[in-house]
Amino acid sequence: MRKWLVGCFLCCWLWIFLICSLAMQVLICRNEAEKCLIETSINSLRISLKVKQADELENILAKKFLRFLSMRAEAFQVLRRKPVQGYDISFLITNYHCEELQKQKLIDFIVQFMEDIDKEISELKMSVSTRGRLVATEFLKQF
Amino acid sequence: MAEAKKSVGSDNAEDILTKIENKSLKIESLIKQYKFIEAIKTALEGYPPQDERCKFANWIGVHKALMAIKDVEGMLRSLDPQYYDILMKYVYRGLSTGNRTTCDQCLKIHEKLTEKAGFGCILRSLADTVNTV
Repeated sequence: MRKWLVGCFLCCWLWIFLICSLAMQVLICRNEAEKCLIETSINSLRISLKVKQADELENILAKKFLRFLSMRAEAFQVLRRKPVQGYDISFLITNYHCEELQKQKLIDFIVQFMEDIDKEISELKMSVSTRGRLVATEFLKQF
Repeated sequence: MAEAKKSVGSDNAEDILTKIENKSLKIESLIKQYKFIEAIKTALEGYPPQDERCKFANWIGVHKALMAIKDVEGMLRSLDPQYYDILMKYVYRGLSTGNRTTCDQCLKIHEKLTEKAGFGCILRSLADTVNTV
């Protein structure tokens, strides 16, 4: 009985050690403000992105836009509802996703997302500035 | 007995730190003589032991050699293929620092190294959890 208990205990520790050795993380930074964290585990992968936010306006726009996307995470399937602490958006890709969806298309989607996100936020910022200028011009016409 | 072992371990680390510092000085002198290829070869030789201080001291030397490289393609052409995996490990370490100039240089090296060595090099460098840098 005692040998069995010791055997079970050692098996548990070996299993935990195995899981920990499979779990690893890679941090890739473009600069101080933009980074990507990839965390692996036994059957899934978590990719977290921190997008460029040069000023306060971009900060607010990025937060609102990415929150909008995260709220509709079911539609994306691979998106996480809540980003990882310290990042703006997170993807969670499990083994089920790899079976149902094409891996290459999945990779293309994430790469395309990263390329487009900066463009989207710049366009949003430009449209906010344009509308602000128009509103200010119209308002000041009366004076 | 355990205390004797611990002091031997820390002496070993001190010896290794001294060797790494000498290597770092050698790398600096090679960089000053514009011998960038020799500098990077000296920097990439041997894996640092598991001690964090040794790894950090080793990384400082490698970082100096990596930042001194201007012609990445020329460097890779004259570098032996056996150094590709370890160079990729140091490139990923550089990418995790977050420093703008380091990341720019590491991204340039990563692009050229991937073209030359392929995706297998990336996988081998990330999957190796025993010989880390």
